[in-house]
Amino acid sequence: MSYTVIYSQVTGHIPYLLAGAWLTLQLACISFFIGWGIGLVNAAVLAYGPRPARMAVRAYVTFFINTPLLVQIFFIFFVLPDMGILLSPYAAVAIGMSLNAGAYLTEIQRAGFSSLRRAEMDAAAAMGFSLVQTIWYVVLPHIAKALYPPLANQFIIQVMTTSIAAIFAVEELTGRAYNVNALTFRALEVFSITAVIYIVLTIVCSLALALLGRWLFRVNAKVF
Amino acid sequence: MWEQVVEEAPRFFGYYNLLFIGEALVNTLLLSWIGATVGFGFGFLFAICRHPRLFGVLPLRIVATLYVELFRRIPFLVKLMCVFFAFQLSGAQASLFTVALVTVVLSAAAFAAEIARAGLESIPAPQWDAAEAMNFGRWRTLWRVVAPQSFRIVLPPLFGYTVGFIKSTSIASQIGVMELTYAAKILNTRGFSALLCFGTILLLYFLICWPTKHFGERLERRLARR
Repeated sequence: MSYTVIYSQVTGHIPYLLAGAWLTLQLACISFFIGWGIGLVNAAVLAYGPRPARMAVRAYVTFFINTPLLVQIFFIFFVLPDMGILLSPYAAVAIGMSLNAGAYLTEIQRAGFSSLRRAEMDAAAAMGFSLVQTIWYVVLPHIAKALYPPLANQFIIQVMTTSIAAIFAVEELTGRAYNVNALTFRALEVFSITAVIYIVLTIVCSLALALLGRWLFRVNAKVF
Repeated sequence: MWEQVVEEAPRFFGYYNLLFIGEALVNTLLLSWIGATVGFGFGFLFAICRHPRLFGVLPLRIVATLYVELFRRIPFLVKLMCVFFAFQLSGAQASLFTVALVTVVLSAAAFAAEIARAGLESIPAPQWDAAEAMNFGRWRTLWRVVAPQSFRIVLPPLFGYTVGFIKSTSIASQIGVMELTYAAKILNTRGFSALLCFGTILLLYFLICWPTKHFGERLERRLARR
């Protein structure tokens, strides 16, 4: 059996796919920012919280890091309805991805905060800085510099993980690729174009984040 | 809901179901371990193709760099679909397991190349010069100078990387490979409650991944101390 690769039947659907890429970015942003919030709260709990709370946070992080996202979303999507909580596929995917990202972002931010050294705070105190001044001039610049590259990296990972949403019939980039495939039966062409769109999308995101980091925090975030 | 689970549990954990889940577990492990190991082999080749002191001639370097940089930017699911349809449309007779394995190897190679590169870069330039002055060949330098020193950089991240692929193989359920996630879906369609199916599978994944990752972290701390 021989197969001729014909891209011309698929090229017309590229705008449709690109509109899906927009939804991909949206989903990545939602899950990243909610996950970021979860991570911030958790990192604060790990630093200052009472023992039971710390243990709960650790259990959450270990569990979510060591199980596959797909199964986590399956769990949310199929088990919660039994408890009377009916979620749309989009909501289930967004919740699953946020919780998953939250676990990774807790780890990242915990490491970032613990990179702050006692001596820096002492130096700020010796210079007669107030608490607000210490946070604004010492703590924030340091943490921003330490945290920006891994956070940017996590965002790129979020962009790629959103492809899992296709399995739950969310029409983001991969989901739309499924649709175009069903319409044209040009599987190889559709999925190779999708792959290229993902590559371009993540490179553009990396570049934008690197520029933003350089402009805001003078971080040398690498693109490649 | 809980009564239902308690009522179903003896039937769910019956002999044939356990056998079924066990088989799926073996498939998951084989898929990720073989994939990660073979992938590391290719990744290592890519890394030495990118290193100027080894086989880093320009064309090889460009190909290896492009592969590593681009393949890490394609989601596993999209890669899986590309490989799946490439096999199907080329008419090659391959099992679904093979298709998934090829996908794992393709993506593992790209990630392993970065880990191996970190290992190669941990060796300072004077040592390469010294090996060259001793008239060591490339392979001999690798084996006698680089390998004994860089294993402590390379070994610990390999555990996290393997765990990553144990988790990624859950996506292979999408094309119907009989692994843990697919087993859970089948048991769910057979009428067992979702909590029981997906809960059990989540726990199993956790029981494989957590010790592996934990061991890797302990190894990292031990190797860093020396």
